Amino acid sequence: MEELIEQLKVQIIEQLNLEDIEPDDIDPEDPLFGNGLGLDSIDALELIVLLEKEYGIKIENPKDGQKIFFSLKSMAEFITENQKN
Amino acid sequence: MKAYINGLGAVAPQETLDKDHFLDQVESYNENRLQIIQPNYREYINPKVLRRMSKIVRLGVVSAKIAMEDAGLDQPDAIITGTGMGCQVDTEKFLNAMLENNETLLTPTAFIQSTHNTMGAQIALMLGNNNYNFTYVHRTFSFESALLDSMMMLAENEASNVLLGGIDEITEESWLIKTRIGYFKFDSINSLNLLGDKQTGALAGESSAFFVLSNKKTDNTYAEITGTSTFYKPESIEETQERISNFLSVNKLSPDSLDLVILGYNGDPEYDQLYQNLEETIFNLCSVAYYKHLCGEHDTASAFALWIAAKALKSNTIPEIIVKEKKKQNSPKNILIYNQFRNINHSLILLRQV
Repeated sequence: MEELIEQLKVQIIEQLNLEDIEPDDIDPEDPLFGNGLGLDSIDALELIVLLEKEYGIKIENPKDGQKIFFSLKSMAEFITENQKN
Repeated sequence: MKAYINGLGAVAPQETLDKDHFLDQVESYNENRLQIIQPNYREYINPKVLRRMSKIVRLGVVSAKIAMEDAGLDQPDAIITGTGMGCQVDTEKFLNAMLENNETLLTPTAFIQSTHNTMGAQIALMLGNNNYNFTYVHRTFSFESALLDSMMMLAENEASNVLLGGIDEITEESWLIKTRIGYFKFDSINSLNLLGDKQTGALAGESSAFFVLSNKKTDNTYAEITGTSTFYKPESIEETQERISNFLSVNKLSPDSLDLVILGYNGDPEYDQLYQNLEETIFNLCSVAYYKHLCGEHDTASAFALWIAAKALKSNTIPEIIVKEKKKQNSPKNILIYNQFRNINHSLILLRQV
């Protein structure tokens, strides 16, 4: 899981062009949106594409997005769970 | 139609941000592509917003902001931009992603930022400006079309202050394609030796220049734009000469009465001979300047020429580096900018000192 979280940090920084942020700056439990990393709705779309492109996982129900993309940890858990299936 | 340039800002392959210098220290390039000197964007743009902006959008926002600050203006009544190729980096990014991923998995950011009106839109977002916002995309008429619209809005009193800009970027892919089709030079030369080179093709370049145009003079006014005109595919050099003379005549001037004409020599001998012909005929009594050895050829290069002309009129200085023929010793009062692209699109912008 830790390895996956580190990999996600790098991918998110690159995909979202977070110029000032280093992987170590992101706490896996901090919210990605709002007060945490400060991402917005366009970033949410980028993250959906990232999940599909890098991990082959499609989010079937858009309502699940809020839970899946709450933090890096929740994203990593979702990926682990869905890759097992 | 009259318009006063009350503020300006440019980003180019030369130092343009230091107000104390006006092309007195010049960068030369030994590759056939002149790329802008990137400013410290963080001084001008919120880092949170910056991450989604490609280079051309950043350049537009920075030069627009400098022009607005220079004019002491908070909100323009209109934002009018001209760009020949728009946001090429993001367009290429989006199209390449389409190819690589079989038209699936397309990310939104590159698409949103790939449209030609992104610069105008981002400036409006930054300013919170909901006024008239228009982008003209007409190859080498793009900036001139934006200028004409700006002048018409001022003349009709639909606006008192217009933020006008011309902006284009060069990318690796577009540079290679245009080199292959002969638009740009194949072998490298020093950019400052632009006029001596015999190869066909121009030097490629990019720039962003923004202006605050107003219907009233201020203490900061640089110059007055008294007219602009475009014409398409003239049949002969005589027609070109006649159109230029007629344009000057409408503006109560003759070629002889011009102090300086700024010509768009781009290093392509095939088309530079048109400028040479005019220099030897209708412009044989005025001083001649050129500028594309400083910014390269691009669709909105005449916006950079306007930046040079406006600063020359305000400072009473013609930088040595742009002088081709000095025939008049007096400081410039009237300047004509004449540009043509492969003898297809021809444009004229006339300025006078205030």
